Amino acid sequence: MVETGSISIFLAFIISIYVLVASIYGARTRKWDFVRSAENGAIAVFVLLVIATIALVHSLINLDFSLKYVALNTSTDLATIYRITSLWAGQAGSLLLWCLVLSVYTAIVVLQSRNKDRQLMPYVLATLATVSIFFIFVIAFIESPFEKLPFIPKEGRGLNPILQNAYMAIHPLTLYVGYVGVTVPFAFGMGALLSGKLGDEWIRYSRKWALVAWTFLGIGLLLGARWAYLELGWGGYWAWDPVENAAFMPWLAATAFIHSVMIQEKRGMLKKWNMSLIILTFFLAIFGTFITRSGIISSVHSFAQSDIGPLFLGFIAFILLFSFGMFLYRINDLETENSFESILSRESAFIFNNLLFLGAAFAVFLGTIFPILSEAVTGSKILVGSPYFNRVNVPIALVLIFLMGVGPLISWRKASFKNLVKNFLIPILLGILTVIVLLALGMKDVKALIAFALCAFVTGTVFTEFFRGTRVRMKRGENFLMAFMRLVSRNKRRYGGYIVHIGIVLIVIGVTASSVFVTEKQATLNKGESMELRGYTLRFDGLEQYTTDAKNATVANLTLFEDGREIDTITPEKNIYKYEGNREINQETEVALRSTYKDDLYIILSGFNEDGSATIRAMINPMVNWIWIGGLVLLLGAVITIWPSGTKSRQKAFVRYTVSEKDTTVKAS
Amino acid sequence: MLKGKLKFIVAIAVIALTVSYLVYGGVRDTMVYYLTVEELMAQVPAVYDTKVRVSGTVVPGTIIKDTNSALKFQITDGTQNIDVTYEGIIPDIFADDVEAVVEGVYAKNDVFEADTLLAKCPTKYESTDSLYENKETSD
Repeated sequence: MVETGSISIFLAFIISIYVLVASIYGARTRKWDFVRSAENGAIAVFVLLVIATIALVHSLINLDFSLKYVALNTSTDLATIYRITSLWAGQAGSLLLWCLVLSVYTAIVVLQSRNKDRQLMPYVLATLATVSIFFIFVIAFIESPFEKLPFIPKEGRGLNPILQNAYMAIHPLTLYVGYVGVTVPFAFGMGALLSGKLGDEWIRYSRKWALVAWTFLGIGLLLGARWAYLELGWGGYWAWDPVENAAFMPWLAATAFIHSVMIQEKRGMLKKWNMSLIILTFFLAIFGTFITRSGIISSVHSFAQSDIGPLFLGFIAFILLFSFGMFLYRINDLETENSFESILSRESAFIFNNLLFLGAAFAVFLGTIFPILSEAVTGSKILVGSPYFNRVNVPIALVLIFLMGVGPLISWRKASFKNLVKNFLIPILLGILTVIVLLALGMKDVKALIAFALCAFVTGTVFTEFFRGTRVRMKRGENFLMAFMRLVSRNKRRYGGYIVHIGIVLIVIGVTASSVFVTEKQATLNKGESMELRGYTLRFDGLEQYTTDAKNATVANLTLFEDGREIDTITPEKNIYKYEGNREINQETEVALRSTYKDDLYIILSGFNEDGSATIRAMINPMVNWIWIGGLVLLLGAVITIWPSGTKSRQKAFVRYTVSEKDTTVKAS
Repeated sequence: MLKGKLKFIVAIAVIALTVSYLVYGGVRDTMVYYLTVEELMAQVPAVYDTKVRVSGTVVPGTIIKDTNSALKFQITDGTQNIDVTYEGIIPDIFADDVEAVVEGVYAKNDVFEADTLLAKCPTKYESTDSLYENKETSD
């Protein structure tokens, strides 16, 4: 199996080079047979990488310790599921996964558009092939997952226990699918630049694929947050760590992109901007992979450190220079068809949205690389931590939420005062009402008040849209449910987008509540003693110990009372892993979490003593669940948006308004 | 009333300035020097009572964990040691010989009062050293 694996990778490398050469040669000379064979080559690369991945997974499951990768990441006591997930626990395996995911995307692109857009597609394929050549080169010649050890150890080093968690099994995978997914809209952009086909095709494909990547990145980030929350035991879910920022930056840029493409689709504007944005998004995705994989910026969870850094930097430089070079070469073909008319219009709401998303991405980027920058400039390493990121991003986020409410309801081109009043009166009143109610309830934090008011405002605008659309349909004799379902299914992009916005609102509510209103307390308790925490009482009923095959666990038994009434038992644990191989981490604190829609009770056993007393750290994190529910709503909305339309003709039916100064009638093109 | 284009320019400038100001203010108020133990000692006494982040290896045997008071330990760069006290959540991987990163102030009594403690896995994460130990037992 091992030989099969390394041979497959080598062949995939050779064939990828062929795909690049054949697709460009075929397109330039109009020999479509070559393009066809390049497409088949892309499928072959996919098959070969599947074989290589199966070979590695097979070795992982059967614990073939003759392989360095297997010996470093697994051990005999590891459950089968985590033997499989070790595929992305280390450097070489992650890179193999990168290649595999890219080949899956490439195969889908090829199969979907074989006979369409013959000018554009070969160049899209060539771009995808170039990226895969780089990554397959790395796993074929530098960081091979099939590298052998000079001897066969009896036991492997084992998987870090904090990675043995269900979320860790799917979070990196989701994130990777997102990271790699950014390559596809970039490839369509590059394909358009290379072929000179800068019409609507590339933007349509790009938009769809950018949405796919955006969704996976977003869900991956949320899963990572949930993993950190459950596993790391510090009571939070987001720490502005370089590795988190690495995935957050391309997500921000992609968010800007999926909004600004709408302006190009509807009004033929911002073509240069969109092209730059997708190049930037791809740059940030590769840069993110680079940060995560190279260990250049010290992070508490950079799991790999290696010397592939310079190679990555070279690749990043090539990507940036080549794509912006092509961009300049074609810049005259990216002329805008319309111009901005009024600052009170949907176009300008989108412009400000884009500026702010990029501002946020820039601030995060700067903060992330600040240690490197400052060391280069001043000679001393200076860090900026969470306070920096929060200070910069919270105001930006608040304005963005405001725009999220404004964007969908303000008219294109130029909004009249009447239009503004008609659309925004109810949402604004809703926002004001929220502030009044919260003030009456005794909430004093200004930022939280603003955030909640804006959330109410956005919810108001979204519901107005749903209500109006449904009512129009009901007037035609449909019942409410049918009208609602048809409204969404006939306008998937629009209403799916609104559902995504609602998901974001839920996340914002959760983040605001859980970052502003945390209650935290630590106490050392003897058996029978209790601690009080905002309406809750925790009684410590003693320690208990148990042993499994893998670990020795110490459990603190706690009984929870709310307003004097017994409601639950809570059992935080501290585990010592028996297996010697996990030398770096053999202790694990198992958080006890009691989660409701109102708040999370987050209990950690921070220590215990010989005399049977225990130190308990307890936190009340309000409304954290709203974040995860928001994630599900976001996913639902994104799926609705991406879901292919039943009829092809509908796709082309979007209307482009072209308006000249004299003639203000609307033409549909 | 401002002309259309000018309004856009003003709005964009306002956004750009605001974001830049937020970045500037954020960096100015939250920046922290990241020092090694050696660099910290070289800056005594100027460094007293300024917030810094220091990294060093935990000196084996110096960890005093008492649930009733602060955690005490020493970190070293190989030649010099400093005393650290810390109250808060102790990372699971914190132990002898790991690389610890502490953030806080170096007080005049020459004790580093940390409010953040991070621990990193030894840098030889992907090293095969530990596998050789297993090799000896395998024959």
